[in-house]
Parts: sequence; C-alpha cells; structure tokens
Amino acid sequence: MPTVRLRDASEYPAPIRKLFEVAKAWFNYDFPQPPAMSRVMAWDPELGAFHGRAMKRAMAPGEFTRAEKEMVAAVVSGVNACAY
Amino acid sequence: MADDALWYEAALLVGITNALNVVADSPLDSLEPASPSAEAQAVFGEIRAFYDRADVPLAFRRVAADPGYLADLWGAARRGFADNRLTRRHKEALAFAVSVTTCSAFGTAFHLAEMRRLGVGERGVMEVLGVTQMFSSYTKIADTLQLEPDMDGLAAVDRSPAPGGAAPPAPTRPPEAP
Repeated sequence: MPTVRLRDASEYPAPIRKLFEVAKAWFNYDFPQPPAMSRVMAWDPELGAFHGRAMKRAMAPGEFTRAEKEMVAAVVSGVNACAY
Repeated sequence: MADDALWYEAALLVGITNALNVVADSPLDSLEPASPSAEAQAVFGEIRAFYDRADVPLAFRRVAADPGYLADLWGAARRGFADNRLTRRHKEALAFAVSVTTCSAFGTAFHLAEMRRLGVGERGVMEVLGVTQMFSSYTKIADTLQLEPDMDGLAAVDRSPAPGGAAPPAPTRPPEAP
C-alpha cells in the first residue's frame, strides 16, 4: 500500500489535469485515473515537468524505436526489483 | 513487443548478462589459467569469432580452468546474445542498460563497445543511457512511496503456447445460472 494518499486527478489544479490528458495520449490508454507515477510527478510540477520532458526525449524514436526503449525501461525496472 | 517470446528472450539475456558481470567484476584474477587447455582454447576461438576481437572477454577467461563449464557458459551466452526474435544490436543495448544499472564496470565497458561495434552511434548510446537513467529514477520514486502497479492492463495476455508445445486450453466460463 502506498505510503502516501494518492490524490485523484480532480484534486489537482486545472493546468495539471491537462497534463494528465497528455499522459493518457502518451500511453494511448484510457486510465480510470492517471497512473500513480503521473500523479506523483505532478505533485511538484517544476520538477515533474523537467523530468517528464527528459523521459519523453529519451523515449522518443531515434536510433532505437520506442518499443525497443520500452524494453530497456522494463529490464532496468526489473534489475532494480521495482514491481511498479 | 506484445509477444511473450520477446520478453522471455529479454529476461534470459538479463540473466546471462548479470552472470558474466558478477564473475568479471569480482576479485577473481587468480582463477584465470596462465595456460588454458586446448579444449578451452577451442572455445576461446569461438568467442573471438563471435565478438570479432583478438582478446577473450574476462568473464570467460576466469572460468577457463574448467573447459566443460566454459563451453556450457559460452553456449548459453552465445544463444542469449545472438540474433533471434530480438536483434543482437538491441540485446547489447539491453545488456548495457543492465550493466549500468548494476554498476558493473566490466559489463558497462564491454557492452558499450559491442553496441558501437554493431553500429550504434553516440546518439543511440545516449538514448539507452537516458532511458536507463530515467527509469532508475522512476523505480526509486515508486519504491520509496511503495506504489502499486496500475499499468498492467496496457498489454494483452499472450495465449500462444510454449515453443513446440500445445495451445493452452480455452478459458472456461463459469456455469450459467439456470
């Protein structure tokens, strides 16, 4: 169980809720609530915005496809023993 | 990346990568035979050919005192890193990410060199490093807050059988009420 109460999207200010819609498009999936990580990163938009842009830049197709990069992300998460 | 086969292949690669790294990164210099046997030399020849290099990577040299073990380890490593459903280039990127994440000096240098040898440019290296760094951040944030998985519905379940095996039984429906 998370050590913090994850706020519903409705508890965030309007500009952040717009960012949640962008995240939904990124994943191409209709989440009932934005992913927990999106809501955590939105807690501090000044950090989250930079972090999110860096992530999207890293994940964008380049020499490797986005799918190949998703697998890189998955193995890094696995090696870090992160269930999330 | 929807097929489980790709993920089985990736997971086996992660295991082999770590197996090589732990031996190469440990203080095991004394185990490397000064004069490897003819049997070990034959395996070394295959390794040199696979990697197109004159030297044999440390992880293999350190287990060469047991040529049978070396041959089996090499067989697994070769299978793990060869082109299959995943390309060798992509596998080297995965191995590089694993090695950076586990702070393996051997693995990081070795797989970086292999990525470059297989045609990955500086931009590609930065892409893999960026993904590795970003997800080393996300994973620790998630663990600190003990977040529970909430994105497992993104991918469909692959119901194909094991290689060479039979299809799984069709999911059964619960009996309908009369």
